[in-house]
Amino acid sequence: MARKLLITVILILAGLLAWLLFYWDPAAVETGPAGSDHQRLELAAPPAGGDFVLDSTSGPLDLADLRGRVVLIYFGYTWCPDICPTNLVLIANALRMLTPEEQERVQVLFVSVDPERDSTRRVAEYSGYFHPRILGLTGTPERIAEVARLYGAAYRRTELPDSALGYVVDHSAYSYVVDPKGRLVRTLDHATPSAEIAAVIREQLGAASPVRGSAR
Amino acid sequence: MPRYLTALLAAAVLATLSIAAQGVEISIGDPYARAVPPGQPNSAVFMSLENRSGADQALVAAESGVSEVVELHTHVAEGGMMRMRRIEKIELPAGQSVTLQPGGLHVMLIGLKQPLDVGDVVDVTLIFEGGTRLPVQAPVRRIEMRHMQH
Repeated sequence: MARKLLITVILILAGLLAWLLFYWDPAAVETGPAGSDHQRLELAAPPAGGDFVLDSTSGPLDLADLRGRVVLIYFGYTWCPDICPTNLVLIANALRMLTPEEQERVQVLFVSVDPERDSTRRVAEYSGYFHPRILGLTGTPERIAEVARLYGAAYRRTELPDSALGYVVDHSAYSYVVDPKGRLVRTLDHATPSAEIAAVIREQLGAASPVRGSAR
Repeated sequence: MPRYLTALLAAAVLATLSIAAQGVEISIGDPYARAVPPGQPNSAVFMSLENRSGADQALVAAESGVSEVVELHTHVAEGGMMRMRRIEKIELPAGQSVTLQPGGLHVMLIGLKQPLDVGDVVDVTLIFEGGTRLPVQAPVRRIEMRHMQH
């Protein structure tokens, strides 16, 4: 008797599975207002983030050493006359909205996508100008490409024969938010207002509920 | 008496000439140059340009003593990337206002000969189609974000 019931259940489930496989068309289902889910579906391979080591003026920096802090990663280059300064100023102003205790638990990394022109010293001077908590990083072209791939940052060197600049590096202008556990949790658009950046940082600091004094 | 008249006439002619020289009838609003980090070789000048005349105009070049080269540039967002490109001119349609601002059109200073510190003033000469020149003084500012925060 129990066995018969079991078989019936199995048959029903199998039938349901077959229907799902052959007839159910998720695209035909009304999902209501097209929300962020749709946008997310369009991304072929969402960037996963992950640890990396790049060079700073004070030696190699390992992202893994920044556990316990909220980390913002921005890709750019020091010759960038406008887009990078704009975002770095917005980020710097966001940092100034935080309390000194909060600032202690935040690290901003400016990763150069122009290692040819950006030495560690150059990128450090440039980053520090905006805020002391913005650390400039560079590395070999291969390592930079690898880090950019991890985070989904795009950049391309483009010759400008008609300009005294010689070449520019076209690049995406997102800021990547890494939570205190090292996970890529948010991607902020170009020119995200400072208040919004500060709110995202606070949210991540709060979500972590860290042990007091864990971050120096 | 005739001498007085001549002087008056001369003054009148001069006044007319100076208006003609400014004939592009472009009014410049809030010009400023971006303060840059030490060692940064490039910067940009922003402003608004209002074409108060009935004819289309265009900004075709700019000159400045603070950098080796001055170019007109714009940004285009393409495929998720911000691309900066040199442009031949900035169109100024009749009766309209065009804003040069961070993330968009700008007068680019390439190869700075001096640091640009807050409080400095950058002299820039704008050159319009037809060769009219318009001197502009752009104070150096740390970038203002009010343009970006709507």
